Amino acid sequence: MLAILLARNVAANLEARQIKSGFDFLSDPAGFNIGELLFDYTSRDSYLRAFAIGMSNTLRVAIAGVVLASVLGVGIGLLRLSHHPLVSGLCAAYVEIFRNIPLLIQLLAIYLLITELLPGSNDAWSVEGVALLSKEGLQIAVPEPGRLALLCALAAFVVGALLGRHAAHRWLEVGIGLVALASGAVAALGAWLIVGAAGGWSRPVLDGFLISGGASLTPEFLALWLGLALFTSASIAEIVRAGALAVPAGQWDAALALGMTRPQAIAGAIFPQALRLAIPPLASQYMNLIKNSSLAVVVGYPDLVSIGNTSINQNGQALEVIVIIMAAYLSLNLVVAAVMNAVNARVTRAPR
Amino acid sequence: MSIKHSIPAALAIAAFALPAHAGKTLDAVKARGQLVCGVNTSGPGFSNADSQGRWTGLDVDFCRAVAAAVLNDASKVKFVPLNSQQRFSSLQAGEIDVLSRNSTWTLTRDASLGVVFAGINYFDGQGFMVPKKLKIDSAKKMNGATVCVQAGTTSEKNVADYFGANGMKYKPVVFDTAEAITSAFFAGRCQVYTTDMSDLAGARTKAPNADDYVILPQVISKEPLGPSVRRGDDEWFQIVRWTLFAMIEAEENGLTQANVDEQKTSNKDPGVQRFLGVSEDTGKLLGLDAAWAYRVVKQVGNYGESFERNLGPKTPVALPRGVNNLWTKGGLMYAPPLR
Repeated sequence: MLAILLARNVAANLEARQIKSGFDFLSDPAGFNIGELLFDYTSRDSYLRAFAIGMSNTLRVAIAGVVLASVLGVGIGLLRLSHHPLVSGLCAAYVEIFRNIPLLIQLLAIYLLITELLPGSNDAWSVEGVALLSKEGLQIAVPEPGRLALLCALAAFVVGALLGRHAAHRWLEVGIGLVALASGAVAALGAWLIVGAAGGWSRPVLDGFLISGGASLTPEFLALWLGLALFTSASIAEIVRAGALAVPAGQWDAALALGMTRPQAIAGAIFPQALRLAIPPLASQYMNLIKNSSLAVVVGYPDLVSIGNTSINQNGQALEVIVIIMAAYLSLNLVVAAVMNAVNARVTRAPR
Repeated sequence: MSIKHSIPAALAIAAFALPAHAGKTLDAVKARGQLVCGVNTSGPGFSNADSQGRWTGLDVDFCRAVAAAVLNDASKVKFVPLNSQQRFSSLQAGEIDVLSRNSTWTLTRDASLGVVFAGINYFDGQGFMVPKKLKIDSAKKMNGATVCVQAGTTSEKNVADYFGANGMKYKPVVFDTAEAITSAFFAGRCQVYTTDMSDLAGARTKAPNADDYVILPQVISKEPLGPSVRRGDDEWFQIVRWTLFAMIEAEENGLTQANVDEQKTSNKDPGVQRFLGVSEDTGKLLGLDAAWAYRVVKQVGNYGESFERNLGPKTPVALPRGVNNLWTKGGLMYAPPLR
């Protein structure tokens, strides 16, 4: 009722102020270019396609950020349990530094470091034919794209996952899942590189100030990705540590009594149980990371909000664009919530 | 950043505001005793705050001129610095009375944003700045370049059109503030910085070494910059528009801050006498008093004086008068007669 009233008042006021409204503009040509594209787009394409590009860029940095933050967070969180004072001390320092400096400042600092310290593209740091690192970002050689390589990678993923599952069959269920996922990913990457290489490599080549070929990560992407991952990993490390400490001490004793070493006990008994406690707060951290990715505009990364900002100023339809942005983040986070709830339900059902 | 400001502004007008009333801005400004003017956060020569918080610039002078005409005192202005994404939302929402922030007059903005442009106080065009060491001497040799550009400007669209028309590719890097762009550009992240020529000249003054950078001669667009007001208040629109004309007319008549008092009594030209409110009262037609234009000249100066003070050869920006000279001197500045 209130929403309808509000919407009607909105329409009436925009009309009275002679401000154009409605979603018709989505099919108009956008007219501006975008720096990072996961699929084809030119300035003659529609606003809708521009938003799709923005969304894909948001997803790209969010997924990469979640993966890196999880790996770093779990690693640091577990290492902090070490009895070695140097190791646990360094991990504690890492957590406190990245958790307590505002993300915005971290992003600006990382971006400044990249743009100030790296050399220009004409004298890039390079490993001949394999990688180039400069103010243009990181360019690495990748196999020429081919369907065969992707199919092989998919097959390798399945085989790798099954092998991993078999190797870890005596672990708890969460542990088996993680090992299967990791070994599948490694096998897939290996297969893609080997099979793809047979079809030739796409290598980064420098020509004037132009770099072409290979896969590239721009300084904007690198800054945002690293910033999000470092910031979030500090919180994830604390969640993992809290989870591990919450596992009853008897579990430690039992694992050690069975003849496991300390690292084995952590990997096989403690960590899988800790993860059960950690999943709900972990889901919140993932959602925070996704929402924080909207800071992209300060480092010039063309995410959904950045594209939205540009659109607002090309056509002045602030309200419509803001509604689109809100709906996109809401649905993205609802998906994450649903997935994490499903994982949580499965994990808590597992026998002790 | 900007979105933090534009969301509340947009929601506020959209959801809660009552329908607009015509003719209310003048009353509101008088009752408040202060003009609220939206200006650029940092545009050397147009609007710039010094370390003591004193605002200077061509756009700033225009705000002061409106205050002199309406409130009898050029100092009664509150300056609200706005970035390119906030400016129109802020004007729509009624947070400012006038937007005087080197904004380009285009059809889309005039016809769909709920704002209306009152005139042109600087004829500009979009250009390119590049580091000298790249030895690029023409805009046509920029194929494949990485280009720094500000979000929410007409530049974003122009540069896409220009490269497209010339069959060249480029990679845009879009930042939301001019400060972020200049720091990225001077650090070498982009080979090219594109925006209005006047902005480029201003940005160049902030380079570690201005001589390392060159502004290419090509101008790829028309960027007529001028003040704008909210739609639906024709009385206020006329005041703002004619304040600008008064500054141009004063220069044409040779009236300056220094000589206007003496001219008021000595100059018997009917046009000048009418302008200064000695013979006829042009002010009452605008809802002002007879001496409105006199005060603009006395307190702020004519258009040429404002230009020399803020953009002329003695300033760091050092822009030539060029097309912004009076029509009588080969430029485009022309005011309809004040009669």
